[in-house]
Amino acid sequence: MAKLSAIRECFEGAIPATMATASDAGVPNIAYLSHVQFVDGDHVALSYQFFNKTRQNLMANPRATLMLTHPVTMTQYRLSLQYLHTETAGPLFESMKAKLAGIASHTGMSGVFRLLGSDVCKVLQIQQVPGESLIAPPPERNLLAALRIASERIAACCDLERLLSETLSCLDQQFGIHHAMVLMADQPGARLYTVASLGYEKSGVGSEIPFGHGVIGVAARERTPIRIGHMNAEYSYSRAARESAEHSDWASALELEIPLPGLCKPRSQLAVPILAAQSLLGVLYVESPQDLRFSYDDEDALVSLTAQIGMAIYILQGVADTGEEAQAGASDPSLPDGAPLEIRHFPENDSVFLGDDYLIKGVAGSIFWTLLRDYADKKRTEFTNRELRLDSRICLPDISDNLEARLILLGKRLIERNAPIRIEKTGRGRFGLRVRRPIRLLEE
Amino acid sequence: MMPDAESIVDADHAAFLQRGVGISVAACDSDKLPTLVRACGCRVSADRRRVTLFVSAAQAAPLLKCIRNNGAIAVVFSEPSTHRTVQLKAGDAVVGGLHDGDLEVIAAYRSAFARELGSLGYDEALIRALFAYPSADIVSLGFTPSEAFSQTPGPKAGEPLQRNG
Repeated sequence: MAKLSAIRECFEGAIPATMATASDAGVPNIAYLSHVQFVDGDHVALSYQFFNKTRQNLMANPRATLMLTHPVTMTQYRLSLQYLHTETAGPLFESMKAKLAGIASHTGMSGVFRLLGSDVCKVLQIQQVPGESLIAPPPERNLLAALRIASERIAACCDLERLLSETLSCLDQQFGIHHAMVLMADQPGARLYTVASLGYEKSGVGSEIPFGHGVIGVAARERTPIRIGHMNAEYSYSRAARESAEHSDWASALELEIPLPGLCKPRSQLAVPILAAQSLLGVLYVESPQDLRFSYDDEDALVSLTAQIGMAIYILQGVADTGEEAQAGASDPSLPDGAPLEIRHFPENDSVFLGDDYLIKGVAGSIFWTLLRDYADKKRTEFTNRELRLDSRICLPDISDNLEARLILLGKRLIERNAPIRIEKTGRGRFGLRVRRPIRLLEE
Repeated sequence: MMPDAESIVDADHAAFLQRGVGISVAACDSDKLPTLVRACGCRVSADRRRVTLFVSAAQAAPLLKCIRNNGAIAVVFSEPSTHRTVQLKAGDAVVGGLHDGDLEVIAAYRSAFARELGSLGYDEALIRALFAYPSADIVSLGFTPSEAFSQTPGPKAGEPLQRNG
């Protein structure tokens, strides 16, 4: 018997699945299924959208037979199923809901297809239907080989910034994925912020997305990969971003100040949560202008990769937090000349403006303002991660918040805004503030 | 009494059933265990009362056993380009051989279905592989539809077919 995992390409929907059921009186019924999800080696889940005959039969007589067709070899398989239970929330349901939205939009069925439940079935038997099988061409790349190289490169990273850039470069070079972003979680704020991206005109570093919004936000909230093979308005993050700023006061309007990067019409999307020690650290998001670009195997490869990224982030954070002490005597900057740059801070959301230009808000804004205050009041330029974490002026949202990620975000924003102030890494868990123009701080 | 005897299939539906639409057939055994197979063509009799499908006996082996046992059949016809979907049911299905003209119906169906999917971007060679079995392997399933439903996705799915003329 073929293993279910070996034929899961059949579930990608290129050729729709059909399913036979029978009523309690023994009357057969047959229907097309919008989506069948591979759950694990022994289970599939059927999308339940309407209380139709298939559904009625399944509730009365839990035996069904599913017909699948392999999209490349055209081999057909009959799967004997036993209905077990229905899920109406949680990772499986959300992953199917997202996928169904993609299928609906692809087939002109938006507004018709709505997932009511995921009917989980045990696969009792897989029978290959006699007939001609075509020979599958060799795959474009070997994902295991790509994963191995990426693993080695990630294991060699000694700080978060390097880890992020190596991750994106491995996606590009090893996996042939040319559009990607890494977002970190702000748990108490229930949102994600972009720290690194690949393949976009504007990096979008600092842009935010709330948990539960779009493919990325749903992957974060449910801690499960979300993969969509067709263009999909419902899960687009531009729409998610617009909706999040719907009740638009001044503070939330800032959320649109840095637009999320991304293809305007991605045809394939995959968001994978970055997890470590049972915590959500962030999300790795990849997309493509091509339909059905990411397969189950791509999803497996990126889930394996993010497991390593998660572990590495977790370890590197501890390393950065216990870095060397700043050298007290090192702070004696030569003060720059010229007209002072006015820097404004709005405490209600910790937003910081350079002149009239918005730079950053939130925790990174609070960190920046604290550094600037120490620079202005005490002429300090050298700092450590550890002292920032203990500084009562900075309200870090969470003990596990990734301070290093906030500093990377701040550093990148300063470069992108071409600010006369830079963050410079000076050692493990240490950094310096480089100010090349006089500044005047204005607390609003 | 309806004008053309008891046929529940009107002329428009009869034409639809015989176009290049996907056809799948289900039956179930005495333990209510269902099975299914893809068909390779459909012929509707002149009075539209009798529908005949063609299947590969090798592929349909479990289904043929069920039909010989109890005659209950359900068939779904679906047009990929429009999602228009119709289900027929009957309790009198019988397994038989091919008659004159059936091989032509099957050949025309294979081409029409490959063309239909070809227009949606599927490689015609792939679609033809689905039906790559010898003529000697093909048997017929004849039945008198007793029920017909629309299964086009949407609010009217599952309703009995509206009969026109």
